[in-house]
Amino acid sequence: MLKATLRSFFAHKGRMLLSALAVVLSVAFVSGSLIFSDTVSRTFDRLFASTAADVAVSPKEAFEQNRGFSSGLVPTLPASVAEDAAKVPGVEDVHLDVEVDNLTVTDAENEPLGRTTGPPTIATNWYVSDRSPVELSDGREPAGAGEALLDKDTADRKDIGIGDKLNVIAQPGTFEAEVVGIAKFTTTNPGATVVYLETAAAQRQLLEKPESADPEAGDAAPATSVSVDAAPGVSDAQLKKRVKEALGGEYAVQTADEQAKSAAEELGTFLDIIKYVMLGFAGIAVLVGIFLIVNTFSMLIAQRTRELGLMRALGADRRQVRRSVLTEALLLGLAGSTLGLLSGIGLAAGLIETMGLLGMNLDAAEMVVSWLTPVLAYAVGVGVTFVAAYLPARRAARVSPMAALADLEIAEVGRPMRVRAVLGSVLGVLGAASFVLCATADRTRDSAVYLVGGVVLTMLAVVAAGPLLVRPVIRVLGGWFPRIFGSVGALSQRNALRNPRRTGATAVALMVGLALVGGMSVAAASMTKSFDEEIDRTLGADFLVQSDNFGPFPREVTERVKDAEGVGLVVRQRFAPLRVTLPDGEKTSTSAGAFDKELDKVSRLEYAEGDTGAALAPGHVGLQRQFARDHGIRIGSTLEVEFSNGKKAELTVGALTKQETSGGFGAAGGFFLGMQTLEEYLPGGQEAVVFVNAAGGTDVDRLRASLESGLADFPQVKVRDQADFKELIREQIVVLLYLVFALLGLAIVIAVLGVVNTLALSVVERTREIGMLRAIGLSRRQTRRMIRLESVVIAVFGALLGLVLGLAWGAGVHEVLALEGMRAFAIDWTVQLAVVIGSVLVGLLAALLPALRASRLNVLAAIAHE
Amino acid sequence: MSTPAALDRREAGPPAGVAARAGGLTKTYGSGETAVVALDAVDVEIGRARFTAVMGPSGSGKSTLMHCLAGLDTVTSGRVWLGDTEITGLGERELTRLRRDRIGFMFQSFNLLPTLNALENITLPMDIAGRRPDPEWLDRVVGTLGLRDRLDHRPSQLSGGQQQRVACARALASRPELIFADEPTGNLDSRSGLEVLGFLREAVDRLAQTVVMVTHDPGAAAHSDLVLFLADGRIVDEMPQPTADAVLERMKRFDGVRKS
Repeated sequence: MLKATLRSFFAHKGRMLLSALAVVLSVAFVSGSLIFSDTVSRTFDRLFASTAADVAVSPKEAFEQNRGFSSGLVPTLPASVAEDAAKVPGVEDVHLDVEVDNLTVTDAENEPLGRTTGPPTIATNWYVSDRSPVELSDGREPAGAGEALLDKDTADRKDIGIGDKLNVIAQPGTFEAEVVGIAKFTTTNPGATVVYLETAAAQRQLLEKPESADPEAGDAAPATSVSVDAAPGVSDAQLKKRVKEALGGEYAVQTADEQAKSAAEELGTFLDIIKYVMLGFAGIAVLVGIFLIVNTFSMLIAQRTRELGLMRALGADRRQVRRSVLTEALLLGLAGSTLGLLSGIGLAAGLIETMGLLGMNLDAAEMVVSWLTPVLAYAVGVGVTFVAAYLPARRAARVSPMAALADLEIAEVGRPMRVRAVLGSVLGVLGAASFVLCATADRTRDSAVYLVGGVVLTMLAVVAAGPLLVRPVIRVLGGWFPRIFGSVGALSQRNALRNPRRTGATAVALMVGLALVGGMSVAAASMTKSFDEEIDRTLGADFLVQSDNFGPFPREVTERVKDAEGVGLVVRQRFAPLRVTLPDGEKTSTSAGAFDKELDKVSRLEYAEGDTGAALAPGHVGLQRQFARDHGIRIGSTLEVEFSNGKKAELTVGALTKQETSGGFGAAGGFFLGMQTLEEYLPGGQEAVVFVNAAGGTDVDRLRASLESGLADFPQVKVRDQADFKELIREQIVVLLYLVFALLGLAIVIAVLGVVNTLALSVVERTREIGMLRAIGLSRRQTRRMIRLESVVIAVFGALLGLVLGLAWGAGVHEVLALEGMRAFAIDWTVQLAVVIGSVLVGLLAALLPALRASRLNVLAAIAHE
Repeated sequence: MSTPAALDRREAGPPAGVAARAGGLTKTYGSGETAVVALDAVDVEIGRARFTAVMGPSGSGKSTLMHCLAGLDTVTSGRVWLGDTEITGLGERELTRLRRDRIGFMFQSFNLLPTLNALENITLPMDIAGRRPDPEWLDRVVGTLGLRDRLDHRPSQLSGGQQQRVACARALASRPELIFADEPTGNLDSRSGLEVLGFLREAVDRLAQTVVMVTHDPGAAAHSDLVLFLADGRIVDEMPQPTADAVLERMKRFDGVRKS
């Protein structure tokens, strides 16, 4: 029996090819994402471990700041800490560290060196120790103010060499520095643009002296941290204890391991997101792959009905037949997984290469393939194939010995689909119910859970009922074929209708990817529209001055804005990361906006209770009504608030807004307070937005020109009016959307393979029929057209199912977004239309080879075929 | 265009003209020592409005002869004409058009498209060509073959004999110059087989069609006007006005030749 199985497997290997490809792609995606994230985290673990000081002393931070809403404040400690630490017994060496990322560095053409998105620009002080991740590869060390080193990757990218001038736009002021040397990373370069300055210059030019600095610290400039190295024989933990005792509890003291761990944790969250997103798409690829494999096995078994019948007639029992088919699946799974694992390694290499293009240079990294990767790869590959082949295998086992004798065409065609109808309706009703719950839920989280339930259930419903929809939909869809394409059109339409199960399964595979595309596009369009409306409703300023990545910028920008000709009113906005203890005991980390008190003149906030004056009054705070209601907060409630520097305050709720959008993730509650309040607790931050109104009688175009010329030295900030601002928001959403589309592309590729597969097997199955048609005068071109049209009708059917489902899903997503305040609903019809047109192209593409094969069919061999 | 007067040609005497002709027709498969000669310089003429049967033992080349005459297969050497058209040397596209417009086919099985009903199957060659069938002629063919109340049935709803009658109607419907039938009764029970043969006979007698039938059933051959016997790629004998017994006797001699 095994021999027969093996023979059969190898005899059909051509037909298995596309199924194997689906397994390969799914497994490649799974293993590729695992290898990539393992490699990246291992690389960074090593980097952190090798570059961390034995013990580091840094200012205490109450909690991790949300990078998206940075206050722009650089926490510092006085340089005297280093002197104190040096006196601790067991200390070998002490270094002051100055490292800031709240600056922009530009080249001679006033172009920023860093990228707007991704890794930051960092300026730091240069000293050499055995922990340095860089070495001087060219030139000399910076010897004083006005001299700098630049990292080699940036220097190469921007074509900057020794002798070139850089402009460093730092918080204390802009200064010029000449590149005197190039520093090369000896380990992984995480992608940052790094400028090195002489230590004293860095302290002076990069850091502001805090106003509340201890007068006894004298003139000593601050630092951002102090690195302490242990003498031989002193452990990091011992040293940490001694340093801590010597300095008191005012600073955070961490051993090398602890530093590496917290750095890795910070990066870990980011990597986890990448990993889960990629695994999510791998999951979709696997799902689509399952359809393809089920279809292939069903077709192979239908074609082999006679052969299986013969085996049964010769005495093979059902279990043996079933086992035989499953063994084939096992072989397919093993082969596919092996190739998939290898492709996954290639995919990971490609991703690492791509990260290199984005600035994260992982060249030095060696690829990490943990034991889990192959285990998961084989589990997914073999598991999926096995599961997918199980139903067809059972069907194979039910083939009666009589099948060997009877001249059956395709046994399964006529089987009633009552089970599918029942299953499809039940799942459909459950899915619809889930969507209703999603729409009526009050809390975002509940609504999202119902949404996921609804998406899964409706998808399964369509999967189950897909074949039932084939007849009615394709009758209509292909109804005009005969009129346009004559009898060839009629043949195509009939062929697509011939085996609804097969057509359904093929189309459904395509549907999954397209439904996700459609759903995402509805969600994105709705979000864009909501933001647009929100901007229209609330933004009253003539202009906003803002950096492209929404990050804070030096306060000098604000001064320049104020000085620009024609400026009437300037309102500053800063972000303040907060940890708020709510009356219900819950603690939430969020970011508050801090505004100047003339906020009303640049923005139209709607208040449920209170007003801007009350919210921005010293010691007060404003927030969203909905959030307040959910957490039992009322006007006059006092909230315990902790700022990022650890200072605590009791703020009184002065106003509740009707604002609905929370203003982005990580800013729950829509907290806002007065600039004065913020300065009291967290002084020295940077503005993230400056709102500008024209002075009376000044033309806005003139104002814009004067603002732009005034800000020419700060290329990182842009002057935007409302339309520009909308465009900026739109771009952010679109980029995200395209990323998702690119990943869904894989699912669609697999689905296209499915269409190819179905057509190829149909052509084989209909060899005689096609031969007969050719004999009675169907030309090659007509043969190709017949296959092509069949393919197109299947693809368009899949696309339509996908669109309908996608719109439903999009509406569901909108219900969830509405709870977050994004109430507008919009459908981007260009995307929907593109999906339909795209599916026609997909159909044509998928039919390419099968059509060629059908038209090249040897007529004589085909009609003699037995 | 045939006129009703031209239909009863049998009564009008011997057939006029030649429907298809081959000269020095040779077909070999493979090359060198393994070459197999399927047809060896065959000269043949197929009379217009006549029913010609081709017989011979397996491997005698009878199917190859039919395929070459029908433009389904290429020849190694020699020339083939359909009417006045020389088909040897025609390109794939012209051959396809020739088959579509001027030749009708009947095969042993898998004759019909399962997705089309009987009428659609019958008019398929003309639909492919984008021509409208001549309704009068179509009606006549359908009537002659007794398919009038089966036209909207799918092949799966028809018996084997009915299916073959549909195939016969399809071959006739475009009123081709020549109909090739490859073992048309091979898959039928004897009663249905007789029926189909009767219809082919009628197509020749009443509709003035030309039919070439490959068969190895002497009983089927007996319905023809002329039997051509093939052996080892050559026409070795012919028998006008055959009877089943005479054909059987002749065929037995092939066995004898082979045994000796």
